[in-house]
Formats: sequence, C-alpha cells, structure tokens
Amino acid sequence: MNKERLKELAQPILKGLFGKQMPYHLRVKSEEDKPVVRPVGMIVEDLCQLPEEAWAKYAFSREPLNGKFTDGQRVELAAKASACGREWAERLAKEHGTRDTSDLAARMGMKVDYPLMPQNASRVLFAEFKEPDKIYIYMDGVKKGKVLLDEPGVREALGANFNISRLLLGHELFHRVEMQEKDLWTNTYQLDLWHIGPVHNRSKVFVLGEIAAMAFTQSLCGISWSPYVMDAFLVYGYTAEAASALYEEMMGFAGLTPRLPQDLLEE
Amino acid sequence: MNNGLVASLNAIYQSAPEGWGTTLVNVCWGAWFGRVLMETGIASTLIRKTVELGGDKPIITVTLLNIVTAAIFTAMTGAGPVIAIGVIVLPILMSLGVPKAIAMFSFMESVAAGIYLNPVNFGQYRAFFMTTDEMTDFNLGWYARKWGFAAVVISVIVTTVLTAIFLKKAKSHSWAAQTRGTSVQQDAPLYTLILPIVPVVLNIAFDFSVIGGFVIAGFAALFLCGKMKGSFTENCQLVNKLYYDGVVDTAPLVGFLLTLPMFNTVANYASPYFTKVLGPVMPKSELVIVILFAVLLGLGLFRGPMTLVGCGAATLGVLRNVVSLSVPFMYCVFAIPTITVNIGSCITQSWVAWGLAYTKVESKEYLKLSIPCAYIAGVLLYVLTMITMSGLGAEWFL
Repeated sequence: MNKERLKELAQPILKGLFGKQMPYHLRVKSEEDKPVVRPVGMIVEDLCQLPEEAWAKYAFSREPLNGKFTDGQRVELAAKASACGREWAERLAKEHGTRDTSDLAARMGMKVDYPLMPQNASRVLFAEFKEPDKIYIYMDGVKKGKVLLDEPGVREALGANFNISRLLLGHELFHRVEMQEKDLWTNTYQLDLWHIGPVHNRSKVFVLGEIAAMAFTQSLCGISWSPYVMDAFLVYGYTAEAASALYEEMMGFAGLTPRLPQDLLEE
Repeated sequence: MNNGLVASLNAIYQSAPEGWGTTLVNVCWGAWFGRVLMETGIASTLIRKTVELGGDKPIITVTLLNIVTAAIFTAMTGAGPVIAIGVIVLPILMSLGVPKAIAMFSFMESVAAGIYLNPVNFGQYRAFFMTTDEMTDFNLGWYARKWGFAAVVISVIVTTVLTAIFLKKAKSHSWAAQTRGTSVQQDAPLYTLILPIVPVVLNIAFDFSVIGGFVIAGFAALFLCGKMKGSFTENCQLVNKLYYDGVVDTAPLVGFLLTLPMFNTVANYASPYFTKVLGPVMPKSELVIVILFAVLLGLGLFRGPMTLVGCGAATLGVLRNVVSLSVPFMYCVFAIPTITVNIGSCITQSWVAWGLAYTKVESKEYLKLSIPCAYIAGVLLYVLTMITMSGLGAEWFL
C-alpha cells in the first residue's frame, strides 16, 4: 500500500475525528429537509384524478399482512373488493329506495352519533362503527374539512354537492353489512398464512373490507373519486405538512410524481 | 452557618443526585439501544412477523403481540420506543377489530410486564434501597430467577386473559388517517430479531455488564442491518443522532431521577420522627405488609404513596426505618405498585397519556380496564412475593 492510498483511506477517519464537527442537534435543516407544503386545492385536484387501481398499494400499506402480497395481487384483490362494495351499495339502495346514507342508516336501524372529539395530527379519527349498531362521525375533522371546501380548487375537484359526513357514514354502514352478511366476499376471502402438514392458518384480510367500504360509499354518494382522498384532505385541516406528506405517499404508491407549489405558478 | 446544617443540605442537594449517576448512565445507554432497535427496523419487523403468524384471530394475535411487546421492553427504555412501537401495534390491533380502549390497555400493560425484567429499571429501583456496591448478590440474574421471570409471565397472562374477556363485548371498525408511515420501513434480517433480548440474556446468564450488552447488541444490530454502510463520518453522525434522540426520549426521566434522590435523602433525615409517630402502628410481619400493600394497590395510581416513581419514596423511607425487612422482599413489594399500577395502568405515565391522545380513548374508559388488571395482577404478584421472597436469611438484610 503506497502513501497516497494510505492517506486516502485515513482521510475520512481523520476528518471524522478531527474535522469540522456538526453535532446532530445543531445541524441546521436545509431547505431540502423541510416538508413541502402544497395548497389543499392542488392536493385534492391531483388525488381525485387517480384511477381506482392506483389506490391499491396505498390501501394495502395500512394492512398488517401487507408483506404477504405482490403488487399484482394487491391490485387484483382491491378490484374484487371494490366490486363487492359497489354491488352491495346497489343492492341496498334498491332495497331501501334511497341512496342517501343518512336515510339508509335510519332504515337499517343504526344509531348515529356526531360527537365533537378533538383530534391530534398523528392519527386523525374520522368515523367509527361499534358493533352491533352504533356509528360515530367525529365532527372536529368534518368541521375543519368544511372550512377547506372554500379553498381555491377544492369544490371543483370534489363536486358541488359533496357532503363529508354522509361520505363517512356510508363507509361505516358497509361495516354493518359486513357484520350481518357472513357470505360477503370480503368475509370469505382468506389468505393462507402458514401451514404445518394438514394444519393451515388462514386469515381474513382486513383491508379488503376497508377498500369495499370505500367503493360502497363512493357508489352511494355518486362521486367519481376515491374516498381515500379524504385521508389527505381531512388531515389538511390539522396539519398541512402531514397532509402534503400523505399526498406524496399516495402519489408515490400510484407511480406518479407529486407536484410542487411552484408548478402552479408555472401553469 | 451551622456546619451540621450545611452538611445535611449538601447531602440532600449535592451528594444525593451525584450518587444516582451510576443509575443514570444505564438509562442513557438503554435509551440509545431502544433507538437502535427502531432505526434498524428490528422492533417493527418483530411486530409485523408476529402478526403474520397470528393472522385475523384477535385473541391469538393479541397473545403473540403481548409476548413480543413484553420481550422487547425487557431491553428498550423510554417514552420514545413505546411510542414508536405503539404506532405500529395499536393500528394493527384496531384493524383486527379490537376496540381502541382494549387495544391500548393490552399494549400498555404488556410494556409494563416487560419492565419487570428490564435491567435499566431494575438498577433504577434498586438504587432506592442501597448503593450499587452494597449487596452485590442482589443482581438481575438472582432477582430474575427468583421472581422476575414469574412476574413477567403472570403479568402477560393476566393482561391477555382480561383482554380476551373484554373482547367478548364488541368489535369496532374505524376510519382514521395514519400520518406517520410505519409500513415503509424495510424488514430487518430474521437472524437479527433475537438481538433485543441479548443484553438481558447476557446480564442474567453471565452477570455481564448491562451497558456492555447494549453496546454489543446495538452495534451488531447496526452492522447486520446494513446501517453502517455509509462513510466513517456518516456512521459517526448516525450513532450521534441515535444517542441524541435516545437521551431526549428519557430527558424527563433523567430530570426526575436527579431530583428524586433529594427527596429520598430528606425522607431519611425525617425518618426518626416518622418512626416515633408511625412506628407503633406500622405492621412488622411480611404477610401483613403484603396484604396491606395488596389492598392499597390503588394508591399507586396518580403518583400516590405506593409508587417509587411518585410519593412512594417517602413511604419506603418510613417503612425501612420502622420495620426490618429483607431488601429483595421490599424491592418486590414496591415494584408491583410502581410497575403494574403506575407504569402500566395510570394515566399519569407519559406514554399512557400519549396513547390516550393517539387512540382517542377517554381516561375513564382506560382506567375501567386497567384498574381491574392492576388489582388482579398485583394480588397474584404479592402471592408470588410471599412464596419466593419472604423469610430470606440475614445476608439479605442491610
């Protein structure tokens, strides 16, 4: 080993030990490190244009058994779950003669409550179904969302007659259907987790119920975009940074490049 | 100024916090190790693999998750790791249809169960009774074999059985947005999943240094998970970052630990007065003390007089000056309300408070589940204490 090579090898160590030190806590965050905050109109406009299959990877990323699936399986199963959700939306709308989720809830004997529960930004709870017949629509997030509807570009993307509470209610109604109808595709599909000889451990895949619930409420509310858009939209009411991060994540899962705020100026 | 008074004040304000330095270094290294397990993805991989084993049967998955959570927290320390694991475990439990209050109860009580064998906590509570040099036979290995292992098992079983009972009531489904991406982290190699318990195993089996265990297992994790592939400077910065984050995780605890010894020393000075007043009425038999503590377990809540990380330091100060009891017995008598009641069941515990905000569970709702658990597990642990720690020989007395 010659002197030059030795110097080359030693340099990073010497630099690390005796060079200019920059302790972690004193490191000034560069512009690149800071989260990019987009206008809410840009977020919903882009997300509302995503096709149904583009949501499969995002939906599965919240599934505990996500690691057991390939991308192809995720898209295929999500499509089946959505079809199941749409089929049941049509069936119930026909049976009860209404597509209004509030009316449907009343006719299905559900007790719907609208508590104003303050949320924090790390996990924003929109709505909840408690077996056997209680639904909670948490109004803190809904109220914040209603304020955002007046932001530029939001109503154009979401539609003039869009109602947040009814959309959330429709999603939870599907879980009631899931509880009652044991033969539902989302209840019967099972994944073989492992087996030892003839002993198999098969498991239901919970995200399929969520995807079906999204398609169910989408169909009832007559909207063209996926209700998963609400994840970013309603979080925006709490923190624009987190909502922008969710937007980036969703666009990334869809294989698209998220737009930047300056893109609006260029347009 | 009176020399005796100055000496007493110096003992309270200077010597007492200084004496806790040896405990404090363990806390800092434990916090660093916790951060390493999070950074390398070992902790999250363990949780994901556990769920893939259990599947959709809530009670099987809850049981497995409780065991793994308890195992992880035999080594991890501080609110940061609890939150980091919580943001993985809690959404998983809720997606299985486990109601949010039950999910939180199951997770928090499992964390507390693991703490019974955590060497950092053991050192921390041991320091209430004596200095590091005193009674060296009372080490984690002896304690674990005699009481600690059984305490973890009892706590996990009680938590799991109660979760199963609570789960019979109803399931729930919620639509919530997770703003922290937890599933994007790569899986750690399978053979690294054993590393979380390495420091504890080394300490219990070979009486090996706790910090040594953290350093060995921590760097093994960083290298084996490919986190040290950067330049020398980048690697240094990563270790620096993990240490910084770990110490920040435990900062409130450090402040508490450096203030509490002042309180303990004051209790020592005041004990002759307490002895005169309370001595005649204080129970002297181990059985009566165990029964009394079991009945008064609820006073470990809200930093009351039974928990060492609350007003219990004063109770201990009085008790040990009034009654002659063996150190291991006293340790266990106080560890139960401190760990099961305060750390696992009380809403004043930092990470329980975080969990309430994260899951949107009402304090009352949580306490309805945690207090029965605190009493059932607590009583069983006092029975264990009577069986294994009562009637010890003279070598266990100070």
